[in-house]
Amino acid sequence: MTAVSDRRQLAYIAAQAADARVNVELEAEGMTLNIGPQHPATHGTLRIVARLDGEQVIEADPIMGYMHRGYEKLAEVRTYPQVTTLINRIDWLGSFANEVPFILAAEQLMDIEAPPRAQHIRTILFEMARIANLTLFLGDMGVQLGAVTPVFYAFRDREHILNQIEAATGGRFHPNFDRIGGLKDDLPAGWVAETKESLGHITKFCNLMDDLLIGNEIFEARTRGIGVVPADVALSYGLSGANVRASGVDWDLRRDNPVGLAYDKVDWKVWTHPDGDSFARYWVRLQEVRESVKIVEQLLDTIPSGPIMAKVPRIIKVPEGEAYVETENPLGVMGYYVVSKGGLNPFRVKIRSASFSNMSITPWLLKGTYVPDVITILASLYFILGDIDR
Amino acid sequence: MGLVPGLITGLGVTLKEVVKTATKGAETVQYPHVKEDPPPRARGVIALHEENCTSCMLCARECPDWCIYIEGHKDLAPPRRAGGKPRTVNKLDRFDIDYGLCMYCGICVEVCPFEALFWSPEYEYSEPRIADLLHDKSRLGQWMDTVPEFEAYEGGAETKAKKVPRP
Repeated sequence: MTAVSDRRQLAYIAAQAADARVNVELEAEGMTLNIGPQHPATHGTLRIVARLDGEQVIEADPIMGYMHRGYEKLAEVRTYPQVTTLINRIDWLGSFANEVPFILAAEQLMDIEAPPRAQHIRTILFEMARIANLTLFLGDMGVQLGAVTPVFYAFRDREHILNQIEAATGGRFHPNFDRIGGLKDDLPAGWVAETKESLGHITKFCNLMDDLLIGNEIFEARTRGIGVVPADVALSYGLSGANVRASGVDWDLRRDNPVGLAYDKVDWKVWTHPDGDSFARYWVRLQEVRESVKIVEQLLDTIPSGPIMAKVPRIIKVPEGEAYVETENPLGVMGYYVVSKGGLNPFRVKIRSASFSNMSITPWLLKGTYVPDVITILASLYFILGDIDR
Repeated sequence: MGLVPGLITGLGVTLKEVVKTATKGAETVQYPHVKEDPPPRARGVIALHEENCTSCMLCARECPDWCIYIEGHKDLAPPRRAGGKPRTVNKLDRFDIDYGLCMYCGICVEVCPFEALFWSPEYEYSEPRIADLLHDKSRLGQWMDTVPEFEAYEGGAETKAKKVPRP
């Protein structure tokens, strides 16, 4: 005899099977195409289930979670200094940028402000993380469209920035350099001059991309008018960063809300593009890298002297309360909602990562596009799987 | 866009790069034959200066993934002056770091209050067996020779430069 719960389960399975049969019979003409989970266009393991009618996508469904590492939950059993080692690994191309909002939130709770020198160097490294992240995008976008050359130049020139990050922090990919109340260490001698030299490589790289991709007829034909996101749709889906600026929305947290960072001390510009298509997203990011180079160059000349750490207790206990801080990361707006109950560990950390929200537009955006354009659109939205799944 | 079509401009760029590579040499480092020189701060491997360690367990406790194993005992050492009481010293029996687990975050080096742990930029210690990645205290002590001196700081810094203890 089977138990009641077992019988209920069997009935449920039978009903599911019947539903599936009906679905198969109804949609006999369509074809389901699995893009991913292992696909070079997805920067990790993202799966997109696309229902096709010929070459056209009727319906696309992103399925994520193949790389979920549970950082929000893990942060609850780590002390505050330990959390930064974990969140380094969220957006792995611009790791330093992940640490900043968390540290700022913790500093807000503890009512500590980092000394000006620390804030300054923090901003420099933040922008260098953006350069390291976006230069790879600028080359990688070509690969998605079949132009293999740009990505080699991207890796070559990005190396100079990574070397400088390593010289200052000790880690190429996972700096773990930001501390509550300041930074781990001061800059080594000669770093400023070397960094200025490495920025020259990035400026040259941007000009290369101008010649190789922006002015290329094939690239324009593949990206212009593909995946158009109107401004109101972009905002309603919670897009942020260059994706929303490419739709003509003039919104940049670096300019609008520079909490604890030295952006107000430099002269730079927020670029927008009215088109909202894949080309606009590429173009905006290219200009953004140029602006970042400008910001870093200006900041390097004006590093104030002083201490690198504020007065912080040796054992960090964060007083009870909650704080939400968001910054403009390479991929978009990233925020940490930190709730503390006064202990060594955070009680809850909610991570608002940019790629997760940027991904949410794909079912709307991919509807009605053609299969080759799916790759273009995914590439131009620019997400990193670590940032989606956390 | 200039007067020349984009395609030709792009091919020109590639040609320029080809000439550059042919004349100035490739940017790629042929790894096993040519080795890159990591900066002195690079987090390659952790070295242990055993004399300074008091087996206080701070590093083992602060490690985010608990990959440091420490065992120690209290020992009696001869008194400093003749006729004095014998001193108690902390003897280190075991100090293992499991590099199969280590995240290379550097928290252990940072929290050590007695300056017993140091970063060395050495990176060639891969093993065919994962169990061999567990370095015991004699192996960790050997890395001490590869630890570079701390660099001087950039102008305007108020942090004091530290020194590496040498035998």
